[in-house]
Amino acid sequence: MTNKYSCYVLADPNKCTGCKACELACFAEHNKSNNGVGYTVGTVTIPVTPKLYLTKTKAYCMPIQCRHCEDAPCLNACQKHAIYRENSQVIVDQEKCIGCKDCVLACPFGAIAILPIGEKGKLKLQKDREVVKVASKCDLCKDIEGGPACVRVCPNDALELVDANADIEAKNIKTAEGLYVSRI
Amino acid sequence: MGVHEIEDAKLIFNFGYNGADSHPIVQRRIVRAKQKGATIICADPRVTEAARIADVHLQLKGGTNIALVNAMCNVIYNEGLVDQHFIDTMSVDYDAFVEIIKKYTPEYAETICKVPAELIRKAARMYAKAPSAMILYGMGVCQFGQAVDVVKALGSLALMTGNYGKPASGIGPVRGQNNVQGACDMGALPNNYPGYQNVTNPDVQAKFEKAWGVKLSNKVGVPLTHVPQRVLEEKDPAKKLHAYYIFGEDPAQSDPDVAEIRETLEKLDFVIVQDIFMNKTAEFADVILPSTSWNEHDGVYSCCDRGFQRIRKVVEPPSTVKTDWEIICEISTAMGYKMKYKNTEEIWNELIDLCPNFAGATYEKIEKYGCIQWPCRSKDMNDKGTVFLHNGKFATADGKGKFYTAEWRPPQELENEEYPLSFSTVREVGHYSVRTMTGNCRMLRNLEDEPGWIQMNPADCEKLHIKHGDLVKVMNKRGWCITRCNATERVAKGATYMTYQWWIGCCNELTIGSNLDPVSNTPEYKYCNCRVEKIDDQAAAWDYVNNEYKDLRSRMGIKMIGEEA
Amino acid sequence: MRKFVKGNPDLCIGCRTCMIGCVVEHEGRRIFEIDPDGYDFNPRLHMVKTAKISVPVQCKHCENPACMAACPVNCIKVINDAVVIDTDSCIGCKSCVQACPFGAIDMVSKIGTQQADGSMRVVANKCDLCVGTGNGPACVRVCPTSALTLVDEEKLKEVVCDKRVATANAAKVFADAKEVE
Repeated sequence: MTNKYSCYVLADPNKCTGCKACELACFAEHNKSNNGVGYTVGTVTIPVTPKLYLTKTKAYCMPIQCRHCEDAPCLNACQKHAIYRENSQVIVDQEKCIGCKDCVLACPFGAIAILPIGEKGKLKLQKDREVVKVASKCDLCKDIEGGPACVRVCPNDALELVDANADIEAKNIKTAEGLYVSRI
Repeated sequence: MGVHEIEDAKLIFNFGYNGADSHPIVQRRIVRAKQKGATIICADPRVTEAARIADVHLQLKGGTNIALVNAMCNVIYNEGLVDQHFIDTMSVDYDAFVEIIKKYTPEYAETICKVPAELIRKAARMYAKAPSAMILYGMGVCQFGQAVDVVKALGSLALMTGNYGKPASGIGPVRGQNNVQGACDMGALPNNYPGYQNVTNPDVQAKFEKAWGVKLSNKVGVPLTHVPQRVLEEKDPAKKLHAYYIFGEDPAQSDPDVAEIRETLEKLDFVIVQDIFMNKTAEFADVILPSTSWNEHDGVYSCCDRGFQRIRKVVEPPSTVKTDWEIICEISTAMGYKMKYKNTEEIWNELIDLCPNFAGATYEKIEKYGCIQWPCRSKDMNDKGTVFLHNGKFATADGKGKFYTAEWRPPQELENEEYPLSFSTVREVGHYSVRTMTGNCRMLRNLEDEPGWIQMNPADCEKLHIKHGDLVKVMNKRGWCITRCNATERVAKGATYMTYQWWIGCCNELTIGSNLDPVSNTPEYKYCNCRVEKIDDQAAAWDYVNNEYKDLRSRMGIKMIGEEA
Repeated sequence: MRKFVKGNPDLCIGCRTCMIGCVVEHEGRRIFEIDPDGYDFNPRLHMVKTAKISVPVQCKHCENPACMAACPVNCIKVINDAVVIDTDSCIGCKSCVQACPFGAIDMVSKIGTQQADGSMRVVANKCDLCVGTGNGPACVRVCPTSALTLVDEEKLKEVVCDKRVATANAAKVFADAKEVE
């Protein structure tokens, strides 16, 4: 069944300690099959490129990642149609992306960065030998078993997968119960 | 108000004024005001740059200004948003004003202006509730048969909300040309000496006679727009005009109904044109006097906010060219009145001593402070002029602001079956006025050139089977021209707009010269009818445009590099 | 990361001073002395006016430029971190025009250069960030309303960082409220 609304991961700054386990897990999960990252020590041959970004303010910290907006500014800004929806989630097609940075500026959360990508353990290059750099953002670990790696690895349970569909349903039921209790 | 105050405005009501195209430097201040949090209300039939960034855009139908202003006053009155204390203590004639605006409910105005009543209410509430509000108006108000009424009605809107006598408030005419305020300040009006001193006032007459040592007339002269009638129709030989001395003006390009102007210029016995380059009017001249341009002489400009600013010579003019003031002196001397000055400062000193409101604006002060806004009555260095007027007292005989508005009068020439579109002149950024000053600028020529554009709604273009960029024929009963179609969503259906600087795409072939505002004598440039026709043979039309342009240039003796003269 | 110039429609007044600044910068001061028809008036950015927007449009200097990938003669190169067309090698095939999703490339005739048949050469034309002039993009400098910004890595980081902090602050408010519950 496809979701009516997209889901997203939200961090709790009151729990987050800034350990970056989420960033590393994100990178490892997304580069397992392509770049052989994660099976043994010393397998990382390319720069660490996560899809969520730990942010520290003076008082607290938390990773920032994509909200998978329903009317996504990044998707609307992309002239190359390299950002699309799959089962309500907002996904970057890294093959199509030309690195124009419009999405980076369009995103109101700072959830997108322009980062290099690897291929077979090496940085992918363009025909002039320049490094390919593309928009990089959370895809909710769409093809990865077990769902968002960041949520799974967080030692403080600071990350939560927010599912508006289930959330609304649960709240609706609670509200209905409340209406029953307060009936006149 | 001063132009610099725009940046500090809390609310700007931008009425019939297109700063981005007419005065980009003023528009810059409007943009800054918006960035600083100002609310912007824009009343304009087109989506101008100001309309684009406005919080409310009142896209009224052309020629319905006063109905909109009256309706806004109506809302403010009916919803009790007036500044009653200000009205009671500072104004007169409020009751008569209220009598008129009562009829102009937003719903009634909607039938005239085609602006939704709710939007009129919203704008009126915004204006009235702003801590201070500034009105800027331009040619979209002034160039109608009913123009001065609208200015007074806008003045009354500010009056009923107490928006006078404080910073960043009031009502500001952002005038058409850079120094048109200066021309008026210096007495280039049929009824005034310099400093707005009336020619019919015997005391004033005596003062100027004494200063100049000559007998002066106490009769009001002829306004520019009455010239054709005084030449072509006047039967009384004593009133008929015979000679026309034109400087810094190109009536054969800029006046309405140029066919009539051409006839006028031909009929006149003697025409003198004094200008910096050849123009269409000079084609009719018996004598052409070449004069220096703005960077070849010293002088004083007045900005629309009454600010005197000095301009300085930066380029040495060719030896065959004289400044305007030198030419005037020599002609006057040749005609028997010996006129001689050493420099512009000497002229300026004589002038300010004869004009009480300018008396303190010495060269020294303008130099020191950059700009002096009149009234500046004392030569004391501490009198830096007046940024905003009406501080605690209006500049009227009784010191009070006078309420005034009028019933709406439709424009004279409306759309009909034969000419189904409305037609208005506008400006575009880059070329200045009639292009005498900027036509030779190669960069501007690269951006835009003959035969200009007619702005039309894409739906109207589709109906006529014309595409963006096509050459089209624009016509009405007075004349026609060929120009290119600019299909743009920024103009409403049924309305068309052309800029007035093109020699071939000459929109003033169509404009109407007979409907003048009764007070200002300004013509109704902003409304007449027209028809747009598709041209099937585009190549032939381009040949026509190019050949006409070439002919005109060769008649004027303009030589291109590589061309034989 | 490559720099690029970005226009802000909230500030732009559609005056096209940027287009003139661009041509003057690329032609040099000689432009005021030569035959008015003897130079290329080919601005490398273009004013776009829709019903709601006025803003100049120009090259984004993409990280993986589609134009560069599409060019069959490799005449689009990265010079000093700007994506630049070598108009001497350009064959005018329009592949880059087709590839660019922004319409940032147009075709212009190059005065003073001829093809074998005597007709004028027509080549691809786009923003080169005024590389080599040492003054930075002319359009940014001449804009009367400061509507154009040169976005470099630092600027982009600054913008994104501000947004992340704002996001974190909002999440904090949310998390605190949840704790109270």
